[in-house]
Amino acid sequence: MIFFRRQMPVLITLVTGLLFAGQYYVPHPASEQLLTTVTKWLQIVGGFALVLGVTSLFHLHAVKIHRREAGWGYSFVLYTGMLATIVLGLMAGGKESTDGSPTAFGWIYSYMLVPLQGTMFAILAFFIASAAYRSFRARSREAAVLLVAAVIVMLGRVPLGEYLIPISGDVSQWILNVLNASVRRAILIGVSLGAVALSFKIIFGVERSYLGGGKE
Amino acid sequence: MSFAERMLKIDRRIIFLVIGLCTLLPLLYPVGLPIRISPEVHGVYDYIDSMPEGSVFLLSLDFDPASKPELQPQAIALLRHAFKRNLRVVAMTLWVTGTGLADQILTQVAREAGKENGKDYVFLGWSPGGSAVIINMGQDLYGTFPSDYNGNATKDLIVLDGVQSLRDVTYAVSLAAGNPGVEAWYVFGKDKYKFELGGGCTGVMAPGLYPLLRSGQINGLIGGLRGASEYETLIGAKGRAVAGMDAQSATHVAIVVLVAICNIFYFSMRRTAKQQGHIGS
Repeated sequence: MIFFRRQMPVLITLVTGLLFAGQYYVPHPASEQLLTTVTKWLQIVGGFALVLGVTSLFHLHAVKIHRREAGWGYSFVLYTGMLATIVLGLMAGGKESTDGSPTAFGWIYSYMLVPLQGTMFAILAFFIASAAYRSFRARSREAAVLLVAAVIVMLGRVPLGEYLIPISGDVSQWILNVLNASVRRAILIGVSLGAVALSFKIIFGVERSYLGGGKE
Repeated sequence: MSFAERMLKIDRRIIFLVIGLCTLLPLLYPVGLPIRISPEVHGVYDYIDSMPEGSVFLLSLDFDPASKPELQPQAIALLRHAFKRNLRVVAMTLWVTGTGLADQILTQVAREAGKENGKDYVFLGWSPGGSAVIINMGQDLYGTFPSDYNGNATKDLIVLDGVQSLRDVTYAVSLAAGNPGVEAWYVFGKDKYKFELGGGCTGVMAPGLYPLLRSGQINGLIGGLRGASEYETLIGAKGRAVAGMDAQSATHVAIVVLVAICNIFYFSMRRTAKQQGHIGS
């Protein structure tokens, strides 16, 4: 049984990892067909992952409600909301509207989800302004550089800023295109090399934490 | 407590009020300041404008309602341009919570342009798998989306005539609010299936996509509401984005002024503290 729990997953990872790393470079129809099949599996697994996620969320909040833990009322609201949405969604066949008129599921989407998510995002502007006022100070040279760059980009990205300080647009473009792009690229290359190294560690069984038991 | 200290600890509700007014007043009384077009947005516009009639334009609306204010105007402007150029529009989303929104946007613009579903455009909807959906579409579009959002078999749709996979797409644009989005479309789509790719994203995400832009991995980038307003100006159909730019202008300037004030008080406090320390010693 230990073989199936420990060695087997590592073996599958090794074979599939090497196979699909190589597949990218082999344009033969058989290789392409293999990719088609496996990506279909991936989509199916993705569907199941969704079911697993929803089930796990239901379980977590059911326990909270059952034990009357702190904030169980919120869990109750979540539970009710999710159940109502799922039932109405199934009844509407997942459609927000039929023949131009909104379904109950579409009503929840358009008049609850859309404004709620929009509101959450809009509130950020107020908190960012308040946080900037309280903490965006030139305490050190590095902070001063950050502050100056942020002010130039903020002004250069809006018509009023460009109107008040005409050069801000060009300087802002230069900061984004040269300084920002080069630094981001450096970070990206570092992250990608890290990802390649981690992939090799997983493929060759050095990194096994995904099995759930750490490094043994 | 000194004046500077009191000002630094100002009630945050006053700041909220300033930002609220800076957002509201320009929306009620628009000024309409001129908008300069950036080369990034021109890149997307020029490519769509140069596509022959009947070319396949894929628009992936990879965002949810939280990013609607920034990305909906981008989507509307792009669709108006594509329909004006008589391109075949294939729309989809990789974000399940964006499905309804994407359908609403596409239906609204198509109705405006007098386009017919299934003949001039199609909304494929959402399919599970995230980035795997892109690979799957690259291998076999009909296998990934056997039916469109309205349940019609994709194989029977006139709009998809001659389209077997992503290899038959002329130009794709991903309007993204996160992952999967523009990067996923490049890594799993363009790189392997060789179609041209453009991007659109929220203002916060835009700086992160500049490396892709500079290296030519995407041929253009529409960043945030500003990008949307530039696109609206280019197609000569000023809409919500242009209207919103006055509000964004005022809010940005207000934040810059607030930051400047905060720093003036901070340095004044620091100088006072230094002077007091000097006298004390």
